Amino acid sequence: MTDLLTIAQAAMPAPMPGITLYHYLVVSAIMFALGLIGFLTRRNLIIMFLCTELMFQAAGIALIAFSRFHLNHTGETFVIFVLTVAAAEAAMALALVVLLFRRKETLDASGWSEMQG
Amino acid sequence: MLSPILLYGACALGAVGVMLALPRKTVSPFAIGVLVAAAAFGLALVGLGVSAAQMGAGHLPNIHFYIFSGIALFGALRLITHPRPVYAALYFILTILSSCGLYLILSAEFMAFALVIVYAGAILITYLFVIMLATEGPSADAVEALADYDRAAREPLLATVCGFLLLASLVTILGSGSASLKADPKLALDGQAKLMLMPTRVETILRNARDGVGNPLMKSGDKIARNAQGLPEMKLTGDDRFVKVARAGGNVDTIAATDLPATLKLENVEGVAFSLIGEHPGAIEIAGVILLMAMLGAVVLARKKVEMDDAAKKTAAGRNLVDPALGPASGSGGAA
Repeated sequence: MTDLLTIAQAAMPAPMPGITLYHYLVVSAIMFALGLIGFLTRRNLIIMFLCTELMFQAAGIALIAFSRFHLNHTGETFVIFVLTVAAAEAAMALALVVLLFRRKETLDASGWSEMQG
Repeated sequence: MLSPILLYGACALGAVGVMLALPRKTVSPFAIGVLVAAAAFGLALVGLGVSAAQMGAGHLPNIHFYIFSGIALFGALRLITHPRPVYAALYFILTILSSCGLYLILSAEFMAFALVIVYAGAILITYLFVIMLATEGPSADAVEALADYDRAAREPLLATVCGFLLLASLVTILGSGSASLKADPKLALDGQAKLMLMPTRVETILRNARDGVGNPLMKSGDKIARNAQGLPEMKLTGDDRFVKVARAGGNVDTIAATDLPATLKLENVEGVAFSLIGEHPGAIEIAGVILLMAMLGAVVLARKKVEMDDAAKKTAAGRNLVDPALGPASGSGGAA
């Protein structure tokens, strides 16, 4: 079995066949759907925000796969920006969680339901 | 591509599994649900592998792909079904680490390591901190008790149906789309053109490379030859590639395409750097502004107003002041 570094170093000059791209896109789609289901069903705010991170991650896999398929680095660059947005989102979301917990002593998302415009 | 019957069957099976695995108030068939969902994902992956194997050896992804994506999807499944937030966060770290494996297979080393550092190292630790901060301590009589909102999922049936409908349509569309998509092999030469902007890097590669006899292609005093304009004399694209080397003795040698080492190519980190700094410099600035705004917003949101009357303020301020009579004496005592 060839080791991972050899695969990584040998991969870039040759294009990846389309059917292999499809494998990565399927994994990315499954991960995105799981994140969506988690976001809709779970009631704990922290887990809801973890699920948005999972959806970011799924988008990242698709971007990297496209970047490898088209043999340029733009997709990878965009994952850096996805990472930036994820970090910013985590900071804001966790501040909201701390705020909610301080006011209502709960992490239930319906704790925000009394909020009026 | 996946056959439609297998695809929709796996989606339906996965939906049933996820729905069973989601936490609920009554006794939840947790383990069964996880098993059923894992079986559905396994079925989809095996179906993908079989359909790719029929196309020929070149179309099969690496065996590591199946290992890493299996672990990643299992982690994602446990993340959305585990009732305890701490475990959910830990399973998310598992998902991140195995996605890093997928990135490595896709020859994106830089992003793989950045993901470990930024996601697993920074973002997830922040999540763990907040979970510790914002959870009620266990009471003495119920140490293992779960909060009410962690114990039951909201609308599991509706959400699962929605999610898996989305998944089925996504996979169908992606299948027809990626079959007609063509990659351009000429783009691979783009990296070689960028390598010509970095003569020092080429020198380093050639110093480390050996020719057939085992001598280095360039010795310590050698330099890449420059033409009258001061540009390096080399050509790294096409079949007539060459690099002209000015030896320490004074004569100029030409290293032909057949002697140039296979390591003479743009590394992943260098490619990302060219793309990031060269092609998207404005986006970096905007990313900086986004991070700054998020930081300010988080500070404003999470700030705690402390109510204090004037007397309390004076006491609090006085605690930090050094008594003029005692200050110098205790200072010199410390120095001695």
